[in-house]
Amino acid sequence: MAAIAQRHYEAPWRAKLRLFLRGLSINWELFKESRVGLIGLAIIVFYGLLSLSYPILMATIWDHEIYNPVSGYDPVVVQQGGQHPAPPSARHWLGTDQHGRDVFSQLAYSARSEFFLGVMAALITVIIGTLIAAASAYYGGFVDTFFMRVADVAVLFPVIAFLIVLSAMFDLTLYSLAVVLGLIYGFGSITIVLKSQALTIKVKPYIEAAKVSGGSSFHIIFTHIIPNLLPLSFLYMMFNVTNAIFTEAVLSFFGLINIQMSWGMMVELANIGGYLTGEAVTRYWWLFFPAATSITALCAAFYFVGRGMDEIVNPRLRKI
Amino acid sequence: MNLLEVRDLTMHYRTKKGDVSAVDRVSLTLKQGEALGLVGESGCGKSSLAITLLRLLPENAQIRGGHVFYRCKDLLKLPEEEARWYERAGVIKEDHVDLLKLPERHMRKVRWKGISMVFQAAMNSLNPVYRVSEQIVEAMQTHNGVGTPEARKRVAELFELVGLNPNRMDQYPHEYSGGMRQRAVIAMALACDPSLIIADEPTTALDVIVQDRILNKLDEIRHQLNMSVIYISHDIAVIAEVSDKVGIMYAGKLVEMGPTEVIFKRPRHPYTAALMSAFPSIRGEKHELTIVPGEPPNLLQPPSGCRFHPRCPHATAICQEQVPQLQPFGEEHYAACWNPVQR
Amino acid sequence: MRKYVIKRVAQILLTLYIYVTIVFIIVAAQPGDISQVYISNPRIPQEARDALKQRLGLDQPLHIQYVNYLKNIVTGNLGLSFTNYPQPVWEIIKERLPRTLALFLTATIIYYALAFQLGKLIAWRRGGVVDYSATVSGVVLWTVYTPWFGLLLIWIFAFQLGWLPIGKFIDPLKWRPFIKYISPNDVFNYILLYGGGGFVVLFSVYLFAQRLLQSYWARLSVNVGAVLLTAGSLGYLLFNTYPMGYLAQDILWHMILPAFALTAIGFGGYMLLMRDSMLDVVKEDYVMAAKAKGLPDKVVRDKHAARNALLPVVTSFVLSLAFAVDGGIVTETIFSWPGMGLTLLRAVVEEDLPLAIGTFVFTGIFALIAHLIADLLYAYLDPRIRYT
Repeated sequence: MAAIAQRHYEAPWRAKLRLFLRGLSINWELFKESRVGLIGLAIIVFYGLLSLSYPILMATIWDHEIYNPVSGYDPVVVQQGGQHPAPPSARHWLGTDQHGRDVFSQLAYSARSEFFLGVMAALITVIIGTLIAAASAYYGGFVDTFFMRVADVAVLFPVIAFLIVLSAMFDLTLYSLAVVLGLIYGFGSITIVLKSQALTIKVKPYIEAAKVSGGSSFHIIFTHIIPNLLPLSFLYMMFNVTNAIFTEAVLSFFGLINIQMSWGMMVELANIGGYLTGEAVTRYWWLFFPAATSITALCAAFYFVGRGMDEIVNPRLRKI
Repeated sequence: MNLLEVRDLTMHYRTKKGDVSAVDRVSLTLKQGEALGLVGESGCGKSSLAITLLRLLPENAQIRGGHVFYRCKDLLKLPEEEARWYERAGVIKEDHVDLLKLPERHMRKVRWKGISMVFQAAMNSLNPVYRVSEQIVEAMQTHNGVGTPEARKRVAELFELVGLNPNRMDQYPHEYSGGMRQRAVIAMALACDPSLIIADEPTTALDVIVQDRILNKLDEIRHQLNMSVIYISHDIAVIAEVSDKVGIMYAGKLVEMGPTEVIFKRPRHPYTAALMSAFPSIRGEKHELTIVPGEPPNLLQPPSGCRFHPRCPHATAICQEQVPQLQPFGEEHYAACWNPVQR
Repeated sequence: MRKYVIKRVAQILLTLYIYVTIVFIIVAAQPGDISQVYISNPRIPQEARDALKQRLGLDQPLHIQYVNYLKNIVTGNLGLSFTNYPQPVWEIIKERLPRTLALFLTATIIYYALAFQLGKLIAWRRGGVVDYSATVSGVVLWTVYTPWFGLLLIWIFAFQLGWLPIGKFIDPLKWRPFIKYISPNDVFNYILLYGGGGFVVLFSVYLFAQRLLQSYWARLSVNVGAVLLTAGSLGYLLFNTYPMGYLAQDILWHMILPAFALTAIGFGGYMLLMRDSMLDVVKEDYVMAAKAKGLPDKVVRDKHAARNALLPVVTSFVLSLAFAVDGGIVTETIFSWPGMGLTLLRAVVEEDLPLAIGTFVFTGIFALIAHLIADLLYAYLDPRIRYT
């Protein structure tokens, strides 16, 4: 009997999965039409592979003593009559820095932390933003007023200035930075945008129907409002990744973050070493150019993916 | 000759997936003072036809052929030599100008002064950041070069004419109700005394009573000023009362055209017949209400032959193969069908 | 309108209160207190630390500290700076604020005007090489790593080309004869006064011309005339007054590069936004109606489309004000421009907490005032807000 039932009626989770996959493929078709979106995705995949290459190379062909991004030193270069920083070669694909460390290794190692920071901060932002937006729109009244005033403040919070002050009192690590950024952005403009979207969902007939049929507030928020907010939340997540990576890069350039290595720090080290002035700029380009370009490229990539998704999420932008 | 003569007008939209044939070889005529109703399902090309007449097309639209002759030579005030040049080029014929061939700088003079328009969803055709009076004065000053006090006096007159309180002319559009905005838009359309107004779904989104009042007002003004009007609607019942003749469009083609009475009593095209039976009638005979079965065709690949044949109850082999041409069925009554409805 | 203004001002005050409170909570939540910042500094003995603690009221319960803190902010009593002891924090802020203001206002006005114009034009002529390249450069400018971008500018314009000074805001050699009786700040105030005055005059002439003159050429000639006249008189002041004009020249000379950097950073995002907003507005019925009215292409574009497309751009100005403030900090640091941003960073690096907190609070106040101005501007631009 059970076997027959299974044959005739698809299990709910299976039907949901099927619908989800179909939605995914439709959205992918739409996303493919946006050229910038694809470019962005390609860049993200490229940096994803770069960050994967670090542990692989470390485990296979790289010597820990020489290629460690923080404590490594390559004595061979000096023995052969060269000096650090050494230009790119087969041994050091992007050269070495003034302390004799491999720049490519630093770049690849940092890529992972940039991804971690960006995605982590953006996830916190989106979770907080979506919950607050749904609750504010659904309950209105005091909850709404309170969170909107908080959003007013958060929007006006000069994040970098704030983090500079914060770094004077607390030890900022990659984790705490991700949490703080997630919190500030999460209470900020994303709630305003998502709330206005949630308000349009709230007046839809199926919400009314769910209320009439006795659905609890909790149930309605989590099964009706939030799922409909998610596409837009996801879109804003992309822009928040950009913000987070950018902020980290600026702060580590100022040397305010307790972090071992990052792209912003690589530029800072080049700056401190005096490689960003005068003749040195063209002579020692590998010290800062890959890192600075990576920051810009990855920021742009997430922005591009956001733009590409914008055309799926906001049908008004869809072309005829 | 007539006020407006459209001949074999064809217009396509270029899209990524291919060309959409939105208006296909449409011909129609309109006399001074006449009111024409254009009816069809949404997406049948009636609005596209309207904006083609004024050449307000989006970038991806392409006029593939045809002529739009409109009596407006006097309006252009061309120097003798230029006028002769245009006559030789076939742009000007007697009093008529082929709007499709007219250069943009001259076309601007025809817009609003020759042909004005009441837009679909007229609610949004007033700019929210300017006072209503400013928007009407602007049109007058562009075309007639009148001073502001004079123009404002005229706005007050127009407001009286369409049944609005002139004291409210300096308010912003958001301070008006839907019906008031509609009247203001009509007042704006009348501002430069055009000979033809195209009213594209002029009363959608208004409630029935307001709808009726506004249409009657527009009709009254039309008789008063001896203007021509083209009403465009998806709802034949709305415009039947105020139109002298009705044209039925289907999938970018004009399938039937004739005096309103005749179209209602003796529709010849099966599509028209189906449309008629889809609406209840209070005064007419009792009949079964039916719906037109099937979906409007995809204009990327319009059906071969008669575009209605996949949905047509009377379709035969020829309908799939050859495009029917408009045939006369009585005085001023034409239909394009291989197997016209006999009654 | 009046009701709206009152409501907004009240909201801003409330926001300010929340902002100041959050700063207090963070300061109170830090491990230890101010005196412990110096625990590793052998030059400050325990007694001095206790005295400091007492003077700052840190030995009192938290709620009293909070009340005192609010009182101090209202009265501008932000304590004394550690690094510039015994100079009060308020004095330092008063000195640095005009410098930031001059940079910020110049850059904001320029990039706003540029982004508006360019975004409008490329959206109107959508597609094609110009649109494509402008969009790409907009994205690059928006996402570019700003410290590097600033350093690159210095490298190109100061090192390679040698056109502009490397950093700092004055050339000490030029100032030496005057430094006794003219401080740089007098000159800054002078620049802000006349520059701001000139801008206000120009803006009001523009508004009046828009309102009163009908013909396009009349408006154009009045505007061009006003620009020439203002530029002429400001130029006269700059080149013919001594020493004020002479010193102002020096400051402006140093300002070019940071102002350019700040402009470029802000420009990209707003241009993209204006382009998108314009592309949305172009689809609106009233734009089609304006075309149908037979208005010239330029009038449809400027008066009808761009005017409405501006509204979301102004809204986003409010939303990204903090971003602009942050950009200002980076720019000031890179170009060693001694404004609020650089002061904040230095104070933090040198562990001068009173100065850091004071600067941070004032940065917030600064952002809030800009917010209020943008809000009022929005209300001016959108009658739907003005008349409700």
